[in-house]
Formats: sequence, C-alpha cells, structure tokens
Amino acid sequence: MSVAVLRALPGRRSRRRLVPLGRIALGIAFLALWQFGSNAMGATWLPGPVDTIERIWKLAVSGELERDTLVTLGEAAAGMAIGGAAGAALPFLLRLSPRLMATLDPLISAAFGLPKLALAPLFILWFGIGIPTKIVFVASIVFFLIFYNGLAGILSIDPRLVAMLRVAGASEWLVSREIVWNTAKPFLFAGLKIALPRALSGAVVGEFIAADSGLGWYIQNARSLNDTTGVVAGAVIVTVLVIGINAALKRVQSRSLAWRPVSRDMTI
Amino acid sequence: MLEVKDLAKRFPPRSSDEEAPWILADLSFHVGEGEFLTMVGPSGAGKSTLLNIIAQVDNATGGEVYFRGQLIETASGAALNPGWNCQIGYVTQDDNLLPWRTLIDNVTFPLKLQGRFDGAAKRRVDELLHATNLAGFERYYPHELSGGMRKRASLIRTLAYDPPIILMDEPFGAVDAQTRTQLQQDLLRLWNLGRKTIVFVTHDIGEAISLGDRVLVLSKSPAKIIAAHSITIKRPRDLGNLYKLEGFGDMFEAVRREIQ
Repeated sequence: MSVAVLRALPGRRSRRRLVPLGRIALGIAFLALWQFGSNAMGATWLPGPVDTIERIWKLAVSGELERDTLVTLGEAAAGMAIGGAAGAALPFLLRLSPRLMATLDPLISAAFGLPKLALAPLFILWFGIGIPTKIVFVASIVFFLIFYNGLAGILSIDPRLVAMLRVAGASEWLVSREIVWNTAKPFLFAGLKIALPRALSGAVVGEFIAADSGLGWYIQNARSLNDTTGVVAGAVIVTVLVIGINAALKRVQSRSLAWRPVSRDMTI
Repeated sequence: MLEVKDLAKRFPPRSSDEEAPWILADLSFHVGEGEFLTMVGPSGAGKSTLLNIIAQVDNATGGEVYFRGQLIETASGAALNPGWNCQIGYVTQDDNLLPWRTLIDNVTFPLKLQGRFDGAAKRRVDELLHATNLAGFERYYPHELSGGMRKRASLIRTLAYDPPIILMDEPFGAVDAQTRTQLQQDLLRLWNLGRKTIVFVTHDIGEAISLGDRVLVLSKSPAKIIAAHSITIKRPRDLGNLYKLEGFGDMFEAVRREIQ
C-alpha cells in the first residue's frame, strides 16, 4: 500500500468518533422497528414507543415515577449494600483459613444453587410484605455474585509478590491491604457489573410478589388491568435505570483500575 | 557476614509411596563483608531454592544459616522471618513489581513501609533513578516500561532500602544480550559506590566470572559446592568484551569443565 493510500484512510481517532454516530443510528433504527411492529400488531399487543413515552411522561408529572423509582432503587441499594459487603468480605476471611474455606465450600455452593424465588413465601412470612423482604431477596442474590468473583480474585494472588513484600518487611495485614485488595479489585468490579442490574431486577421481581409501591408493583398492577402500555413503560424505566447504573459503574471502575494494561479500544 | 552450614532441602513427596529427591544436600559456604560472591550451576541445580531458604521465603529440611555470627534459621520448623528484619534483600528472577503502583511508588514502597522514607532516602532514590537511566519514568506503571527498565527498577527497589546483604537470583536472565551487559555494568557501578555484600546466583559462567570476587561452582541437583575460585581480574571491569579481561578465558574453561 502506498503512502498516499495510507494517508487517505481515516485515522484511529476519527474512526473512534464514528462510534457515537453508530450508536445513535442503531437507536433510531430500533425505535422505528418498534413503532412499525406496534402499528402492524396493534397497540394492545405491542404498545409503541410513542405511547410508552407518553405514559412515562404522565407518570413523571403525577409524581408516581419518582415515588416508585425511589422505592425500587432504595430496596436494590440496601440489598446490594448488605449482600455485596458480606460477599466481598467473606473471601478475605476465608483466605486466612483454608480449612474453613474447604468446610464451607459445599454449603455455599448449595445455597447458591437454591432458587431464591421459591423461598419468597418464607421471606414474606418472616419479614412481611414490606420493603425488608425485598432487601433480603436482593441481598440473597447479590451476595453470591460478589462472593464468587471476590473468591476468584483471592485465588489469583501471585505468591511471588507476597514473598517479595514480606522480604521487604511487610506485615500480614499490609500484604492483605496491598496485594489481596488490589488483586481482588478488578474481580469485584466484574462482580458488580453483573450484580448491580441483578439487584435492580431482584427488587422488581420481589415487588411482583407482594408490594404496595415500587416499579415492580406498578408493572404487576398494570398487568392485572390488561394495561400493556403500563407494563412496557415500567420495563423501559427499569432498563433506563440499569443503563444509568452501568455508566456510573464504568466511570468509577476506569478511575480506580487505571493501572491495568488494557487496550484503549476494548473498554466495555 | 553470612554463613550457611550443611543446608539440605527436599520438598514434600508427590505421593506417599515415593521418596522425594534432595534438592540441596550438605551445602556449606560463607560470604565475607562487602564481598561480591557469585554462584554458578546448571539449570535446575536448586539455586533459587537456596536463595529462597536464605531469604526465609522457604524453610530448610536440614542445616543452619548464620548472619553476623547469629543463628537466624534452622530446620526446626519455627516460623520464618522473610528478609530477616529487612537485613537480607532479595532481587528475584522476575521483577515482581506491583502492577498497580507506578515505578516511583514501587521503588519507595519498602522504604515507606519500613518508615524510613526521609530526606536522605529521597535523595538516594533520586541518585539511583539517575544512575539507572530511569529518571523521567517515575510516574509510569510497570506494564508501560520495557523489560530492562523493570529489571533496573526491581534492582534499585532493593538497593534503595539498603539491606546489608543482597541476594540476586539470575536477575538479568530474561533480557536480551545488549541490555544484559548494560545491566551488569550498571550493577557493578552501583556496587562500587557502596560495596554491599552480594550473593549472585546464575547459570551463566561468563556472568559469574565477570561480576564476582569469588565464584562457587554448584553441582547438579542435589546441589553441592564442587569448586571455588577467587577472581583476580582487577576492577573496574569493562564487560563489553569479556575476553579482553585478563585471565577470563582460562577461568571460563576451568569452570566449564567443572560444571560438566
């Protein structure tokens, strides 16, 4: 290839600028297809984007959107905090005792396999139909996602780094803080990437079962009234929340893992 | 300075019905204050195992290690004290830099955790960075540096906190020939400034002769010392052309025959 041809090719930078344009084009195409499908099938079978946005606007004006979103977000956040903290802390404790880890392993695997939804009636019996039930439900899902990722992180510690630090005079506590924490961090972020959306959908599903407010309750209520527009509007709101949470997580992650040798074109 | 007596090592057997082989057996030697001791032996002779035991990263199956006349390690199964209170530095085969810390943070990390990062230490680190051509790269992460630069960083990380004795396990094994000569020259220059006690282990006969005051030749596993040579080549030595160093060729031949 001659130099002239090479120059004519768009550079990496200008090609990267095409990405947002591509995203917008994809979004418009999706909305058009959605509206077309709605027109073809009828608005009851598939409520279109225009109806959906109209409904969301109405909910926003009436204050219902804010109330239900805050309830669901609050449940997800509290469950995430409890389950996430426990799931992140347990691998650190297990590292100190390999025997305890071996003892607990089958129990944790079994608890992970247990379908949490099947336990919903018990949760309601124990914690009532209010917010605490959803928090426990979310925590029971999130805990395992964070725990298994954290554990994978702890198991991937480089023993040579540990030996090096010990030779230089580091205490066991300092080794934990420096090496264990920094090795586990990318794994915990990978866990969060899966756990945060699951926390939100966990709260929504919890509200399907029994609730008097929240986005899940709104969707469930719309469903019982054959209000398909309401169902789709609820689902869209949850999706937008997940997208927002993911974007926030990505920002925090790229700042706190800046040291990692990743290709700049491969950040997802 | 450092005395190793009848050191023996074998790892736990793989299965119960078979005896694990001895890696080290009856290994004894001493290192004098300010001496640059090199040990050369074939690959798999147990050189890294030996240094791991002296650095107390691994325990011995038999024997004793003395530091300035004090017994610091036996095969008693007592808890290990890696680096023996920061008195024994260890530059390993891999650079083992912390990937999440910048070069300067890596180099100053031992000083900081020992609570010794004062003005004098800061100046010393600065000198070392300049002496090894790393100045200007302080804020780079290890993965952004070349292999040779990482080696130099790991070398001055140990030199910066200045332990009385430094163990080196083929620190220049994984770099190309030119970089290697450069690193060896750097090491000799740094050593000349402070004349630390160094135990330098390698499988490269030329490296062992050109760097050391004394060369110990190790046998195949289980490692024993089969010969010792005093190197009389005068310093400073030009490592660019080893065969021009007086007496190098004969010494090389002698060691090569012993190793076979």
